[in-house]
Amino acid sequence: MKFHYNICPRNCYDTCSIISTTRNGVLISVEGNPKQEYTVGKLCPKALDDVKKVYSPQRIRYPMRQRGRYSGFWERISWDEALDQIAAKILNLKEHYGTSLPLALNKYSGNFGVLHNAIEGLFTGIGATTRAAGSPCWSAGIDAQTLDFGTFFCSDPLDMANSKLIWLWGVNPAWTAVHQMPIIFDAIDRGAKVVCFDTHFSATAARAHQYIQVRPGTDGLLALGFAKVLLEENLIDSNLSSYTLGHEEFLHYLEAEISLDNCSDITGIAVSTIRELALEYGQTHPACIWAGFGLQRYTNGGQTLRAIDALGALAGHLGEQGGGVQYAQFETWRFSGAIQNPPHPINQTERLANINRFSEEALNYTDPPVKMLWISGRNPLSQDGNLQQWKKLISQLDLIVVSDLFHTKSSEAADLFLPVTTHYEHWDLNSSYWHYWVGANEPAILPVGESRSDLQIAWDVSSRLNTLKPGSCTFPTSGNEKETLLRELGPQMLDILGLKNPEEILNGPVRAKFPSTTWENRSFTTPSGHYEFFSSQAATAHLPPLPIFVPPLNPSLDAPLRLMTPHHHSTINSQVYAIEAHSTDFILHLAPEVAQRYDLVVGDRAQIWNKSGQLEVVIQPQSGISKDVVIIFQEHVKATSPLNCLIGTPLTDMGQLTLGGRGFALNETFVNLRKL
Amino acid sequence: MVKQLGFVLDVNRCLGCGACAKACQNRNQLAPSLGWRQIRKVETISKDHIQRFYLSTACNHCGNPECLRVCPSGAYAKRRDGIVLHLSEKCTSCKSCVTSCPFGAPQINPQTNKASKCQFCYERLDRGMLPFCVQACPTGALELKELRDIPAGNQLLRLTAPVPSLRLTRPSVFYKPPSATRV
Repeated sequence: MKFHYNICPRNCYDTCSIISTTRNGVLISVEGNPKQEYTVGKLCPKALDDVKKVYSPQRIRYPMRQRGRYSGFWERISWDEALDQIAAKILNLKEHYGTSLPLALNKYSGNFGVLHNAIEGLFTGIGATTRAAGSPCWSAGIDAQTLDFGTFFCSDPLDMANSKLIWLWGVNPAWTAVHQMPIIFDAIDRGAKVVCFDTHFSATAARAHQYIQVRPGTDGLLALGFAKVLLEENLIDSNLSSYTLGHEEFLHYLEAEISLDNCSDITGIAVSTIRELALEYGQTHPACIWAGFGLQRYTNGGQTLRAIDALGALAGHLGEQGGGVQYAQFETWRFSGAIQNPPHPINQTERLANINRFSEEALNYTDPPVKMLWISGRNPLSQDGNLQQWKKLISQLDLIVVSDLFHTKSSEAADLFLPVTTHYEHWDLNSSYWHYWVGANEPAILPVGESRSDLQIAWDVSSRLNTLKPGSCTFPTSGNEKETLLRELGPQMLDILGLKNPEEILNGPVRAKFPSTTWENRSFTTPSGHYEFFSSQAATAHLPPLPIFVPPLNPSLDAPLRLMTPHHHSTINSQVYAIEAHSTDFILHLAPEVAQRYDLVVGDRAQIWNKSGQLEVVIQPQSGISKDVVIIFQEHVKATSPLNCLIGTPLTDMGQLTLGGRGFALNETFVNLRKL
Repeated sequence: MVKQLGFVLDVNRCLGCGACAKACQNRNQLAPSLGWRQIRKVETISKDHIQRFYLSTACNHCGNPECLRVCPSGAYAKRRDGIVLHLSEKCTSCKSCVTSCPFGAPQINPQTNKASKCQFCYERLDRGMLPFCVQACPTGALELKELRDIPAGNQLLRLTAPVPSLRLTRPSVFYKPPSATRV
């Protein structure tokens, strides 16, 4: 038996450190690494299926070619054939258009490991191409925190155990970050109170002391209501002038514009409750807010997070051990970037299409048009909005390449399928955007079938390009995965990790040497060096300089119900594959009153629809759900119509500043409902 | 009996995430239709509270096991540490245990047509390791305890099922009293 260090590479808070066991070269079990302080030897149920996933009979083991898109007639081909077809197409397009812009890459976080950026490196090495830019996930919140603090940087999640009051706001760690829950329970055991704010009574709410049902998209106003109470009750940090900018303007706004009655009407929370909670928050130290990604997936998402940040600042909770407003961090991701930055072959800039409107923007490019698309670490046809535009884009493409582990909704439209390795079959380097641990992932077994790592594929394509036309790609044509990994640990990252040389990362995961509490000395990285209630950067970007309330979108008469599609405990978007989907029905969770209004009872079949599409659902009334929403959790369903057929492409208010594209306002989706 | 091992579940730490059931399923390589460990959601709603908790249940390794009593072929045994074992080699597939267990613990294995149930991972215990379910629980909600070590008046509940046979079979499983969320 042999043991190996692995790291779960999903786009997930927990990014667990795994110890895998092999016998005679076969992966037999996976367990959490007890030495990593956040994973502490435990894995979530998603990772517990990894062995099954690696050896699943449905896994694609060979390069495949589809005879006709959507036909399902896949034939096995050799890597040589696949690489020849790809390289020939790339060179042909470059020659025909005189530029490589017709080549598009749509890649995101299907595997968040650093070496997966090789595909980006390959495209950079070919020339200026069309890329999906920005993020479908967290953009608005990142911009908001960047405006307020200078960057987004959460405390070590273990610090939450020191809190006396924990507000879990729009986050459901019981399903999406299970390792945070024991830390929260430890705080509870030491006397902390936990309040959960959400639109529905979640599995996390069930473990909290109190649940506050917030009308969707009004969280920012609620934060401002709390701030108003702090102002009235004189619970404002007396040192604000020493480390913040614009607090007077903000207080003036609260005084002039925020009324608790109005706040109560809009948020759906009683004035007495707002007062009670605000007093607790103002009087309890340390008090921590964890703002989830869900609450910023609105057209006002950035403003919402800015209002919550401002509340934390006003009460003096910033920089407090066990306090703060926690969102996420990218400070432990300061890799050298060598892999995605080979020498640029020509001086031409890339075309950056917002990842959340990729199909629309790619269709708008005409000079030259997009002709070839590579999809890596993504499944846009099950996750993106505006599927009609996607269909149109697909029909204009000469070649679609999908690299993945299993067939997906997106591979249905592909011409070529390149089988990739799992994290048990290649070297990689992984950080979390929540905890502070960074580690190397080592291969435990040989690649299954003929699968190859993204890095190997990038080398192979570059090699083929250079064989056919020497000098056509500057990305390396071969290499060593482990050495490539070590090169990602440059001087800055070594310093962050407290390592002398990169090889030390191979001895097991390392915690970044940051203090556990962020902003402890209240010195911020904003232009003023202060926490900015008033942000000139926001004003420059045509955003409100103060964290004022901007209402979310309103439902219309044709689509009166807001549809939410939060994560299910069994999946993370499309990153856990539907190899064992049992359910054939989408379950629509809704408040009993709403069900009654539509004359629906449990088990009824119904249809939801809007101008984007329609979906058949089974009704499940449930208490604790806001009357303004209906919910379908993103779990695997064997259905012909995907859940995203109902989704358009509304964008969040922020995201441009730090990520180069506004985020996906997924929660601004509205539907109508009728009994079938 | 010298000891009585049992499961203690702190329902206030249980997320219902199913890691215990999945670890049991995968590590014991159970057929897909078998589930030695099951998760049930229990919800009580009042005007200003919602009490929702999850019961992770498996064989209760009863102090007085009904399966052992009814089995005509001696395919059940109780170890000195209290673990109730099903001995597959003696099982004649008569299903007496399946129908008589008040908790539905024994299930027919479709591959062998014999009864099967949680064996408390006794081979792991004998090597000083925890059962797969306890090992996998990410919050420490599910624990293995020597029940005789639990002091009296400890506020633990037997929530398994509201059946009269509870007192008769004496299941070796306890739950911490569930709290409710103010809404």
